[in-house]
Amino acid sequence: MANQQIDQFAATLPRDKRASVYQSTKGTHEKRTKMLWDQYADPNRLREIAGEVKQHVIENLDTYLPQVEAKLKANGAQVHWAATGEEACEAVHRIMKARGATKMVKAKTMVSEEIELAHYLEKQGMEALETDLGEFIVQIDHDHPSHIVRPIIHKNRREIATSFEREGLGDYNDDPQTITLRARRFLRQKYLEADVGLTGANFVSVESGRVVLVTNEGNSRFCLAATKCHIVLVGIEKLVPRDRDLGLLLNLLGRSGTAQQLTVYTEFISGPKAAGRPDGPEEMHVIFVDNGRTEVLATECRDILRCIRCGACLNVCPIYRQASGHAYRSVYPGPVGAVLSPLLMKERFPEKADLPKASSLCGACQEVCPVNIPIPDLLLRLRDKAKEEHVPSPGTPPMGVWALMASQPAAWKAALVGGRMMNILPTKMLPVPALRAWEDQRTLPAWKGGAFRKWMRNRPAKGDRS
Amino acid sequence: MLNTSRSPLTGKRVQLMATCICDAFYDDVAVATVQVLEHLGCTVEFPEGQTCCGQPAFNCGDWPASRKVVRHTVRTFSGEVPVVVPSGSCAAMLFHGAPLEFEKEADLPAVEALGRRAWELADFIVNGLGVKTWPGKYEAKAAFHRSCHSRGTASGTAADQLLCSIAGLTVIPFGEGEQCCGFGGTFSVSFPNISGGMGRLKLEHIRAAQPDLLVSGDMSCMMHLGGLAEREGKPIRTQHISQVLRDALRNGGLL
Amino acid sequence: MSDSREQILGRVKAALKELPERAPLPDWYADLVVLREARGVTDAWALFAERMKLVNGTPLTSAAELVKLLDGKGWRRGYCDPELLPTLKPAFPDSFKIETSFDRTRVDDYDFGITRATGAIAETGTLILSEADTPTRLAALAPWVHVAAIRRDQIYVDIPHAVSSLPADPNIIWCTGPSKTADVEGILIEGVHGPGMQIALLV
Repeated sequence: MANQQIDQFAATLPRDKRASVYQSTKGTHEKRTKMLWDQYADPNRLREIAGEVKQHVIENLDTYLPQVEAKLKANGAQVHWAATGEEACEAVHRIMKARGATKMVKAKTMVSEEIELAHYLEKQGMEALETDLGEFIVQIDHDHPSHIVRPIIHKNRREIATSFEREGLGDYNDDPQTITLRARRFLRQKYLEADVGLTGANFVSVESGRVVLVTNEGNSRFCLAATKCHIVLVGIEKLVPRDRDLGLLLNLLGRSGTAQQLTVYTEFISGPKAAGRPDGPEEMHVIFVDNGRTEVLATECRDILRCIRCGACLNVCPIYRQASGHAYRSVYPGPVGAVLSPLLMKERFPEKADLPKASSLCGACQEVCPVNIPIPDLLLRLRDKAKEEHVPSPGTPPMGVWALMASQPAAWKAALVGGRMMNILPTKMLPVPALRAWEDQRTLPAWKGGAFRKWMRNRPAKGDRS
Repeated sequence: MLNTSRSPLTGKRVQLMATCICDAFYDDVAVATVQVLEHLGCTVEFPEGQTCCGQPAFNCGDWPASRKVVRHTVRTFSGEVPVVVPSGSCAAMLFHGAPLEFEKEADLPAVEALGRRAWELADFIVNGLGVKTWPGKYEAKAAFHRSCHSRGTASGTAADQLLCSIAGLTVIPFGEGEQCCGFGGTFSVSFPNISGGMGRLKLEHIRAAQPDLLVSGDMSCMMHLGGLAEREGKPIRTQHISQVLRDALRNGGLL
Repeated sequence: MSDSREQILGRVKAALKELPERAPLPDWYADLVVLREARGVTDAWALFAERMKLVNGTPLTSAAELVKLLDGKGWRRGYCDPELLPTLKPAFPDSFKIETSFDRTRVDDYDFGITRATGAIAETGTLILSEADTPTRLAALAPWVHVAAIRRDQIYVDIPHAVSSLPADPNIIWCTGPSKTADVEGILIEGVHGPGMQIALLV
């Protein structure tokens, strides 16, 4: 019986890769949980309220988007709109060309991964250098990130040392400290030479137009300290209504993502630098990217747009831990990716319709989600959508005959008794593929079909029971 | 909490939804459930027409097929009395899953009404009947697997509370208790490698704690874990919580 | 571009039109997110110092302490904010070479950068910098050691207070400990792009 692509990928994943993904996700998850419950009386209340704030935002984007646009403009930023990934890439390119810029330093942004910005700019003859250490390693290896927050969770130090040697960053040395310091030395020259710094945005406040960025390495700060033009690439769903809501969301983001109270750097940027200041961008551009988000907004799965990209659902997910991020064939892996990635495919949904199947629906993802997204429900909705669109689903048993029997008591009872043949025939000979797949790894208990009903029927009347 | 809008209990009549897995494999779990409920003074009715809660098709994404079965279930469990289910996942199907797939259906109110009457067994005993401690005795070290469908419900805490109160029974913790066992319905056959990997990891954690038996409120998890352990040649003793409660009564001479 | 704007806003409107009702904006009280440790604090500096150490930051209470630390490591070349220099200068021996303008063509010539903080957050051990008080962004970032001078009256107890007091400044940054990464096998390494040592100097 053919099984699902993600399962096949998991089966071929090298043992040490699985072990390192498991150790690292488990560690972060456990620290996160301890931290939240040690520090707050009721962390779940925080998650619920944060979820309500973000749900309110996505259901009022029609009001908030024009408001934030006006605020950003008043703060001195230029606002651009990109309906597709291609338009977003073109907008970046246009801004760079207008400044005669050829070199960009980039902080980590998932939207830029989504629209493959670096590839696009390279094709246009521009340099677009990733500065987050993990993303930098992904870039020099022509690889893809396998985790939203920890892009190289799938790589070990030996692989990284080999890549650094190949790129001329020094002789082979797999000491993490040495690797990091070599990157520091190499990248700081790049910041200083670059014309443009590009970042994402974790939040944009409608009230003040502040763009909020959180990082640990300080690379986004360096992008904004050294270059003269700041481009912000941001999904249209990233708004928060008021500055004070940031107090709630920032407290949850750091803890959920990396088990930190706050990440090292939290930046609030509301415009270009003031005149006469030595450092900082003199121009600020904010590009609002749709790229499928409005389509998601139109579905019953719109709740996924609350996501603040913390990665907590990846860390806790037993399927992610077994399969790792590349199994999802998407920029967004794990539970959030299993919902978001197929939806962002728009009419090509069937290509990723298997992702929502990769879940035992255990609900751990919702339990850790800082904005309380009902991920299991959304996965179920997408399974329904896939079935309605007749997307084939290998390994999933057909349900038609079962439904027929389960809605007719007589047929059901007959099947219960008939099932006895399972105890007589070897399972391999039974005409039910799912049972054979079950038996590959597990024994099956003896068939006792109808035994309870018989007991219930044959016991003495109530008064006669002891 | 997922199931907060439940109707208050008025009498001690209940309907038993035995679940298809007990109907087919685990007759003793259903028997124990009846015995436990009767010990608590309940009158247990068993609607003969019952089949399945509809969850398999719901989880597969075949919602039309699932709705057909749910409609049958709604008809079968008519009335006002609580429906007690010895399974967290089937109970959750009634109060959470079914209303989700009936969102746009005209008969949603009937489905929701059944959901409000649906109780997982331990939840019913502790939060429905208000019974917080369990009599009798059971000499054993037990590992309690908190099945995933107890997330967001009161079932996990209720079961833990009951088990911990039994004389002689020690509930021992084990690593990563909140993680899924890997069953997940048809997930277990369409993702055999991942499902098996999850199950083996769970067994590793459980074995490290060296329990005498493994207890859960869901026989589906037990079927998966027990089956894996047996195929590995290292069988593990499993019981449903109803069986532990019933056996405690027996050991204490109360049944 | 304006086409794209209209297209996106139009699609947003169309998507939301079907909703029978919109989710309301919940009200919540700042108290909800205040740490247990931060409740009823009287000495904000003491809490700040304690929390800053938890994120591997270095709180210091005198210029003499700072000089001892830097001198001990052989870090004697640095930048100091011109407004701070008059107060700090007496503490530095002549062996130190201190500049009051930061030359971006030789960022690696500076062992340390001393700048003025705009505020601090006690419960997280965070220093707040702004463009107004730290216009030389590179001086607070490129050297291995960053020293932020902070006064007691500038310390907020918790994040909600700090958020409600965000100044009108184009670039505010909260720094919570030294720059760090755990990208390589989850191992914590400090000083990735920014300072490997973050000092708060009480003035």
